[in-house]
Amino acid sequence: MKCEEFEAIGLDAERDASLSEVERGAAREHASTCSRCAALQDSWQAAGVELRAFAEDTAVAQAPARVEMRLRQEFRTQHVTLKVRRTAAIATWALAATALLVGVVSWHSWRRSRQEVAANHLNSVPAANNFPDNNSATRANHKNSAEVPDGMLERGSAGAGSSETLVADNELSGFTFLPGAFAADTDEAAILHVRMQRSALGALGLPVNEERAGEWIQVDLLVGDDGLPQAVRLPQ
Amino acid sequence: MRIAEQDRDDVLLRRAAKGDEEAFTLLYRRHQAAMYRFALRMTGNSWAAEEIVQDVFMTLMRDPKKYDATRGALGAFLYGVARNRVMKHMEHLPREIPLEEKNEDGTGSGIVLQDASTPAMWVEKRERKLQVRAAVLELPVEFREAVVLCELEEMSYEEAAQMAGCPIGTIRSRLHRGRALLMAKLEMLRSVPRRASVAR
Repeated sequence: MKCEEFEAIGLDAERDASLSEVERGAAREHASTCSRCAALQDSWQAAGVELRAFAEDTAVAQAPARVEMRLRQEFRTQHVTLKVRRTAAIATWALAATALLVGVVSWHSWRRSRQEVAANHLNSVPAANNFPDNNSATRANHKNSAEVPDGMLERGSAGAGSSETLVADNELSGFTFLPGAFAADTDEAAILHVRMQRSALGALGLPVNEERAGEWIQVDLLVGDDGLPQAVRLPQ
Repeated sequence: MRIAEQDRDDVLLRRAAKGDEEAFTLLYRRHQAAMYRFALRMTGNSWAAEEIVQDVFMTLMRDPKKYDATRGALGAFLYGVARNRVMKHMEHLPREIPLEEKNEDGTGSGIVLQDASTPAMWVEKRERKLQVRAAVLELPVEFREAVVLCELEEMSYEEAAQMAGCPIGTIRSRLHRGRALLMAKLEMLRSVPRRASVAR
């Protein structure tokens, strides 16, 4: 081993685990033969002793307790803040979901109540008001539509209420056939529940009590497949 | 000694990340002394060492995911963070290092010097240790790091290389140069009192 090599790796050869036994032996041999390198090694060992003494003085050094205190305080703050934020986020989402649910339910019940009000309104208003002129085409195209005389009310025939009012029924008992109509023509007929003024019965060829002509009554009309009323029934 | 599963660093860190203060405290107590010693030996300043330790654990607390257990031990990770903080601290330091620093209570340096049989010996020893400390602190930072890790922390070359993030050969050469500088400095400090006494 040369002096340069010894300076580089030989000074601490005993501690350096990356050196082989051969290299350590060479370092030892060089130190025993070279007085300069031996003096260097002695000097380094003396420095090593001083360094170790210095290290021993700081060996028990620890961070002051206030550091731990500060860190723990910071830890608490951070995690409490995180928890609060998380709770706030969950609460916000829960509130938003509740508000949305309440909104949907309110809207739904409002819509239902509006439909009921509309249906009640239709029940109480004369047919003339429910069939404005521009709706006549719709009325004519209705599957079970009938040619209803003026003053008659076709209950719920406008829009959503139609399914409630048009009831197919084969029970023909109690029907009074209108003049010119025959029982044999009623195979394809449908029963239409209508509300009309009693006076309108006159238009169907039935006798009318003049004193009660303005009274609103509920009647069933048997409407043939040609859309013309075939018979009428006055429920008791 | 084998560390129980629930006391392993990575397990404790996971618990701490979920808000377990006890786990964090346990981690802190396990590693703070080594971090503090390293920072103190590197900076020679107890205030700076304290700040560095606090910074290291703040980093761990705020971003525990930075530590990847598959890449090494938590101790090594913390050393790495401490090392970066030390380097940053050094960048902002003036080149001159005072021989003695006063604590906040004015009782001397941050390094506690112990033991002595007689007051005269105590003074001499204390002086010598301060000289060694000054010599270490005057080394360029990369040489100082190698000396602190290998000579003061008594790490193997391999461990020191891992901590410093460089090959073993680099650590060896830094240590070699650091030692040379240190010896020269210590020789010079030794000869100054001698010359002074001869002059008298």
